[in-house]
Amino acid sequence: MPLKSLTYAWLSLILLSGASAAIAVMVCQNAVPTMTGAATLLVAWMKMRVILSRYLGLWRAPSWRAGFNGVLGGYCLLLLGLYVIPVLAS
Amino acid sequence: MTETQARSEPRNALDELPGELLMWVLIVSELLVFGAGLAAFLGVRISDPFGFAEAQDHLHRTGAALNTVVLITSGFLAARAVQLRRNGQRTMARWHLIAAMLLGGVFLWIKGIEFAEKAEQGIGVETHPFFMFYYLLTGFHAAHVVAGIVILGLVAIWDEAHIIEVGAAFWHMVDLVWVLLFPVVYLLA
Repeated sequence: MPLKSLTYAWLSLILLSGASAAIAVMVCQNAVPTMTGAATLLVAWMKMRVILSRYLGLWRAPSWRAGFNGVLGGYCLLLLGLYVIPVLAS
Repeated sequence: MTETQARSEPRNALDELPGELLMWVLIVSELLVFGAGLAAFLGVRISDPFGFAEAQDHLHRTGAALNTVVLITSGFLAARAVQLRRNGQRTMARWHLIAAMLLGGVFLWIKGIEFAEKAEQGIGVETHPFFMFYYLLTGFHAAHVVAGIVILGLVAIWDEAHIIEVGAAFWHMVDLVWVLLFPVVYLLA
């Protein structure tokens, strides 16, 4: 993989970290927990996708990349479910 | 099928994986361990969401966000080191690995400040279940950062391209765990 692709991957991770920071600000301002929780986990999942694909080189193995992305996406949904249970119960 | 075709095509799905298979086994194992820990954290939170939110307010979110940038930049340098070594730029690859190690040190330094602040406030593992998970998960992750720094140091010495790739993969695993651990422990109030 050319070094330029790694640089783009790093820049996208920095941008996603900026998105995490923006969500953290919303958390501090008591925004809707379900929305901020979903956005937080979505950003985390997107970061993991970039690390797996570009840093760990799974772009060379598309079927494995799809498998990892799917399992981690499902896991993030599980975490979101656990996170919103108290909100739904109240 | 000709002999050339047989050589160029992967023998099975496992052959498609980049780097060492054992490193991938380790990556999946670590993801399962941390994944179970984070799911347990949110599971216990169900019984006391307000207590967890109050405890979470004691955490230093800015420091943790800074650590995210530090770790992904360190991972970037480790990934670059692999490519540079493959391109025959051995010295540059070593410098990148050393820079990645230094950023790992910065991560630990920020984490140390965070732990010291908690200790000053009298916050320990028994203060609240939140902090038990906090210390367990972030402490275990910090131990992996220490191991990762040692591994990067070793592959900077024994710097064959495939060895650097394995060392960098461990470092990316540490990175991967952090990008999931950070939002769950620090942001999901």
